[in-house]
Amino acid sequence: MTKVGLFLCECGPNIAEAVDLDKVTEVIKGDKKVALIERHRLLCSEDGKKFLAESIKKNGFERIVIAACSPKQHENTFMEVMTRAGLNPYLFQMVNIREQCAWMTPDKELATQKAIRLIRAAINRINYHTPLKQKEIECSPDVLIIGAGITGIETALRTAQKNRNIYIVEKNELGGVLNRLQSLYPGMQSARELLQKKIKEIKSHPEIKVFQKSKIKEILGFFGNFIARIETEDKKEVKLNIGSIILTIGGETFVPAELPNFGYKKFENVFTADEFENSVINKENLPQTIAIVHCVGREKFGYCSKICCANSMKLARLIKEKSKNTKVFQFYKELCLPGKEYDQFYKETKEQGVEFIRYKNIEIGDHKIDYISEDEIKQSLSVDMIILSTGLVPGKDTQYFANLLNIPLDDYGFFKEEHIKLAPVSTITEGISIAGGCQGPQDLNDAVIQAGASAGRTLSSLIPGRRLQVEAKTCEIADSICVGCGVCVRVCTYGALTIDESKHISVVNEVLCRGCGNCAAACPSGAARHRHFTNQEIYQEERAMLK
Amino acid sequence: METKNKDILIIGAGLAGIEASLLCARAGRKVYLLEKEPYFGGSAIKSEEVFPLMECATCMLAPKQSDVLENKNIELLTLSELQEVQGEAGNFTARIKKQARYVSLENCIGCGACFEPCPVEIDNNFEEGLSKRKAIYIACAGALPNAPAIDMNYCLRKKGEDCQACKQSCMFDAILYDDKDREITVNVGAIIVATGFKLGDASQYTNYGYKKFKNVLSAFEFERLRASNGPTTGIIQTKDGSPPDSIALIHCVGRKEKGYCSQVCCLYLTKFAHYAFDKIPGVKVYQFYKELSIPGKENEHFYKEIQKKGINSIRAENIEIIEADSGLQINYQNGNNKNGSIAVDMVVLAPPIEPHPETRNIARILNIELDQFGFLKTQPFNPVESNRAGIYIAGCAREPNFMQEAVVQAQDAAGQALNITED
Amino acid sequence: MQTEPTIIGFLCNWCSYAAADLAGNSKLEVPGNLTTIRVMCSSRVDPVFILNAYFQGADGVLVAGCHPGDCHYQTGNYYARRRLALLIKILQTFDIEPKRLRLSWISASEGQRFSEITQEFAKFIKEAGPNPLKKKPFFE
Repeated sequence: MTKVGLFLCECGPNIAEAVDLDKVTEVIKGDKKVALIERHRLLCSEDGKKFLAESIKKNGFERIVIAACSPKQHENTFMEVMTRAGLNPYLFQMVNIREQCAWMTPDKELATQKAIRLIRAAINRINYHTPLKQKEIECSPDVLIIGAGITGIETALRTAQKNRNIYIVEKNELGGVLNRLQSLYPGMQSARELLQKKIKEIKSHPEIKVFQKSKIKEILGFFGNFIARIETEDKKEVKLNIGSIILTIGGETFVPAELPNFGYKKFENVFTADEFENSVINKENLPQTIAIVHCVGREKFGYCSKICCANSMKLARLIKEKSKNTKVFQFYKELCLPGKEYDQFYKETKEQGVEFIRYKNIEIGDHKIDYISEDEIKQSLSVDMIILSTGLVPGKDTQYFANLLNIPLDDYGFFKEEHIKLAPVSTITEGISIAGGCQGPQDLNDAVIQAGASAGRTLSSLIPGRRLQVEAKTCEIADSICVGCGVCVRVCTYGALTIDESKHISVVNEVLCRGCGNCAAACPSGAARHRHFTNQEIYQEERAMLK
Repeated sequence: METKNKDILIIGAGLAGIEASLLCARAGRKVYLLEKEPYFGGSAIKSEEVFPLMECATCMLAPKQSDVLENKNIELLTLSELQEVQGEAGNFTARIKKQARYVSLENCIGCGACFEPCPVEIDNNFEEGLSKRKAIYIACAGALPNAPAIDMNYCLRKKGEDCQACKQSCMFDAILYDDKDREITVNVGAIIVATGFKLGDASQYTNYGYKKFKNVLSAFEFERLRASNGPTTGIIQTKDGSPPDSIALIHCVGRKEKGYCSQVCCLYLTKFAHYAFDKIPGVKVYQFYKELSIPGKENEHFYKEIQKKGINSIRAENIEIIEADSGLQINYQNGNNKNGSIAVDMVVLAPPIEPHPETRNIARILNIELDQFGFLKTQPFNPVESNRAGIYIAGCAREPNFMQEAVVQAQDAAGQALNITED
Repeated sequence: MQTEPTIIGFLCNWCSYAAADLAGNSKLEVPGNLTTIRVMCSSRVDPVFILNAYFQGADGVLVAGCHPGDCHYQTGNYYARRRLALLIKILQTFDIEPKRLRLSWISASEGQRFSEITQEFAKFIKEAGPNPLKKKPFFE
């Protein structure tokens, strides 16, 4: 029989005064599963840890139960002591008799009974523990970046290091949306100059390999060990081994063809902001009056794109620069100018004679705008040209890559981040990051930061010459029991389970598994096992608690 | 070539500082995480819920905080402030002043037995003065690290009395009256500044009656009223203890004077409306706003959902709050220049997000630039890089931000710090 | 002999277990007859665990997880909710009243709420009397 040591921590008076530890000892002593009961005033202290380590060695304990504070306080502390004492740290169960017993049950008798039940549960379960190992796997530090707009280019530059290859794949020309822009707000720098400089940098970078006009055909594998198949410009196939993937495929500007009240493609001289900045502004002499209409498409797709207000002001300034006497009107609903730079930008734009008109409803006609103002008055304005400031929407390839990589989209069709606040550039699949316009509507600053963030996550997790650490408390599948029904595959959020078609059973990818145990609860045949929280371990806890 | 120091110093242990530390530590780097308060977690831990999904803030942050505390690569230095920095990227030397906590982090087990006997009672700043604390205190239930500090500004011993109340109640020898301020010197290769923000003082905009009328609250006061671990365990009430029948949320307080939009207020006020509807059945909620700024996916959906519950939105200028017989009265001029007036029981103000008062000092020590508003200045096309190589800025130290922006900036800064310290 | 009812609580590691710790930290009262089992996620709670608890004589079972939308593993609590909804139908065939099973969402900051919910549930279970399976043993 394995030798189990039980340690009771008094936690000074905290446990000792609220729980009758003598009685606990007396009751548990009769349990044959426990070899010895030790007691200490404060087990987490240096003296206590020494006592624990020495007692393990002296008594030859093989498994340990410690009744003390919450595992959230000192589980790791004691696991370290065990490791140093030569025991597998998972042959250990901590019993929370402080927070969830001594401190919440003022009646000493009840608290003592509760402590006994909790300790018995741990003693019952401990013999079912198996030693778990922190595994390590080989991995590639190389990175595949999909999409070479400014976000992708920046990501490549930030990720590139000695001993790490960066592959950047773009289906068109390099540069993405920046190719279509004149200048950048609020600094009004040239977009082209910035882009040319960055393209030169990636092309000459020794660690970055650029694939233009190339397609991603297939991606297999998982964090640390992906394989991507690429069709290059000259129709050759290239296979890449990479450790992580960053999606920077960008978004698109909305085309308002289906919104009849904006008169797009119906009346001449109605352009989208993108068309205007990309070509119209270069071609002709600008007319006498131009109206810029904000929030085009916002109601349809259901969010504010953040960039349009400031971008419309930028267009007004470009117009003024080129044709000083052109009268510019901004038709807006709400001015969205978040951050420290834009109130000033707005003020300066206004000072250039740009007129701002708030609308509630708008109907664009032939060279005119009919609108209803906020106080419900119908008005009309004749203009020579109308620019529709359209919002940002997901790009057409978003769905393709979501399918290819098996990652979800959000309600709006952008890639869904792992957590909207805490992990905005991660996806639920470890090793696949997202940055820029494919993650959500954002301005250049945001995109550059997200590029840096996805680079930062990669630099921190995949290090040349280092192996990947894998979580120990993952799930496993018993081959002989699994019937390959696929229920576990469907409930796993992280894509950690797949069906091995040749064996007709489910297999766990321990790199992707985060150990929630959902599959173990879902498995109808009991083949899925959640390490450290197995059915047996929990039944044993229940049995002891209800005895 | 001289080898670069691989260690990283991070100033400020709020959301951004925590995220940056975890990333650098994961890469195997030693991280010194500096926090001037006795607890860490920054402003984010004051929230009950986080928009737009109304997730529990503690549930989001506590696991990250435990990761920091358990990570062997991260040395969290609470009650610590930067004194001096010399050197350059790859080889900085930083002098840090670590204030005495007067409580041993090694010995203290966080039982809280010392609070009760302490005879001194003062306002708890963390709770915006809505509750009292002792001279030996933790900021709020659940604050980490789980150990109190003695505030020597108020401790009777500072006044020469030989009070031993806390020491006598402590069973773990954790009280150290002779603890001293210490000076620590660390060598690092890169520095990340994440000192965060401070909410502007609304009383300087006198028309809102803040500090003059008792039921005019600033945003964090309202947030703490709703906090389950706050002074009222989450019950929203006026100063006389009754639930308000009507609440007015005032946007853009001080925006014109400051010259920028603080970005987060429209949405957190929407969250406050949600709190009110959630906790006070039948409450009337008004919002007085100038321009609605709710950028980004998910946010508009959230805004509209809360609007459906019946917020009365009024576009208003020239707001003046006065005390009336029935409570507070808000006089305003609406979007069509008509005058109006509404009576409410409680007013919640959204003052500007300002750089933390320490920012100026940090900028001086690090020799990095500030912008016209006092935020730390960053580079065009590299919005987290300061004007000095090897020094990066993340979170509200550089600009008012959403939480997700603070996180990505921290990840960006961490990446650049890792990169610049590679040989 | 009339004994105190026994209640088993399954708490998810990230929200509800933390809330229970916070309740203890704040010295809020929680019924002594509630004994808790820590799981990583409420989705780990196999309905069989709950059936097993009743068969072993538990008078009530509490499953507590993160609030909807807050799950540390994205959607685990939704799975728990669906599984328990189905389980309730099965419990009725054993004459176990559905209200003996409580599913609650308790976040990490809600120590107070943890205390309130558990006290209220314990009171309910006490009034409801012993688990009917105890009176007519299942396999006899």
